Amino acid sequence: MEPVTNAPTDPMTTVPPAVADAPSTDPLLVAERLCTRYGDTCALEDASLRVCRGEIWALVGPNGCGKSTLLRALAGVGAGTVTGSVRYTAVPRSPTHANLARARAFVPQRPEVSSAFTARDVVALGRYAVGTDPAAIDRALADVGLAARAHRAFHELSGGERQRVALARAFAQLDAGGVLLLDEPFGGVDPAEVARIAVSLRARAERGAVVLSLHEPGLARAIATHAMVLRGGRVLAQGCARDTLQAATLSEAYGHPMREIAVGADAVAWIVPALSIDRDPPSAPRR
Amino acid sequence: MNAASHSRRGFALLAAGLVLAALLRVSVGPVATEEGTALSLARPSADVLSLRATSVASAAAVGAALGLAGLALQILLRNPLASPFVLGVSSGAGFGVSVVLALAYATALPAAAFGGELGGAVAGALLTLALVAWIGRARDAADPTTLVLAGVIVGAMFSAGSMLMEQLVPFGLRGDLLSWMAGRLPEIPTKGLFGALLALLASGGALLVARARALDVAALSDEEAATSGVRLGRLRVELFLIGGILSAAAVAYAGPIGFVGLVGPHMARRLVGPHHARLVPAAALAGASLLVAADAARQCIDVGTGRLPVGVVTALVGGPAFLWILRRRPWSQ
Repeated sequence: MEPVTNAPTDPMTTVPPAVADAPSTDPLLVAERLCTRYGDTCALEDASLRVCRGEIWALVGPNGCGKSTLLRALAGVGAGTVTGSVRYTAVPRSPTHANLARARAFVPQRPEVSSAFTARDVVALGRYAVGTDPAAIDRALADVGLAARAHRAFHELSGGERQRVALARAFAQLDAGGVLLLDEPFGGVDPAEVARIAVSLRARAERGAVVLSLHEPGLARAIATHAMVLRGGRVLAQGCARDTLQAATLSEAYGHPMREIAVGADAVAWIVPALSIDRDPPSAPRR
Repeated sequence: MNAASHSRRGFALLAAGLVLAALLRVSVGPVATEEGTALSLARPSADVLSLRATSVASAAAVGAALGLAGLALQILLRNPLASPFVLGVSSGAGFGVSVVLALAYATALPAAAFGGELGGAVAGALLTLALVAWIGRARDAADPTTLVLAGVIVGAMFSAGSMLMEQLVPFGLRGDLLSWMAGRLPEIPTKGLFGALLALLASGGALLVARARALDVAALSDEEAATSGVRLGRLRVELFLIGGILSAAAVAYAGPIGFVGLVGPHMARRLVGPHHARLVPAAALAGASLLVAADAARQCIDVGTGRLPVGVVTALVGGPAFLWILRRRPWSQ
């Protein structure tokens, strides 16, 4: 087992440290005993989550562990049979589509746009239920670093840029705060933009909260206040990001040894998979 | 804004096209001479003028209905190849009409007893649309051509069904059915049907315009559109009904006329852009211009036995347009 560094989890100097210890008394989203079944297959079992104002929850785990399924269930667009309860506290007991659109926004793993819209047009779609607001659209575009490319056609943008447009659409929708549900928001996004967007996420989380799935446990530990580790549709661990995203838990989740390393002069904790390519032949037992 | 002036120019072009086509249609036509009929640009008599004006009105209404139906189906099925004709919805509506007519003949009751031509067309169109959408959904929905394939097969089945019905009616009525099946724009409008077509066109168009912003959002993935606050289920039902019923009304009135419902919306997108507040009226205008132009064009083509059915003209022009859209993968609009 690698030594655990207790340095502040702050790999990007611009990102303020996560404040997981601050008492949170303002739940925005309460999900209880969520299960999703696709026929006989159980994709998610008994996941409960309480997301408070200011929190960023990272969902971490191997491919197919139920991260996307959980996010879709939280967004209310789950396929299959979803049981359990999801409640947004800002929304009345019998919510309308418009009420819900003010309380939460969702960005899927592969955003789609099947019209010849510009990036700005797409971001403006986020204001459908919450009222037109050009300033909110500009802020959202600036937050994902696309202000200069706002009038490009969506289809002319790269994969990472499209992902950022979709993110900006959700930002514009929840300009006044709410829960951002983001499925792999950094897919195809370059590291500099990830660092920039992480700062925006922090700022936006102060007005609401964020639940996002990530493939990079180190990044999750750096930007999230809380984390949930999933494996095979079950919750392996959840809680404060620093305590939950430990090498031992992650090794169990991924079924592969994970190590914690200290990066840079600040000794920022980063978590990486153990690689044995150079030293050991492929048949060597895993350390 | 640049986009606004672009779309203003687009509307101006569409309107100019419609006016030009209408003028052409009104001024050109066969005139009886001593040797038979000949094309003439001579000022027609008031009677002839009124017939031609009616024909323009018919073509404009049918074209607009097809343009809106095609647009609704393209949005509903997220498929740039969707249109009443390509999906077999027109054939389904035609089958519905021939069943009603055959039943009316067999029982010696009026067609209205079986729902009338419009009732038969609507039933046939909605049945076909449901069937094709269901097949397209069961198969790989991501591939637009699957849906088209399903439409072609279902359409062929219903066309065969219509031919079967034609065999069941007497020869006189059969000829009438056959000419209707090739697409025919009445110069003397069957009053009830034309009124119904106009009423459905107006209400369908108004509903689509009212839903313009939701239709814009529907360009996103279903999950994004639903979480943005769009009532997707309701919107889909509306698109299904508008697409099916407007196709049916056009078919009941003028027979299955192909490709206007496909090319109209694409032309409109090119000219006024992707925003539905502008795209909906533009698709209606484009459909109307196309069909009036096709009707005017066929007046100028004399094939000895008479004029070509308007459906033949639209297929001759629309077929290559369909292939061009098919070639432009991946779908950029």
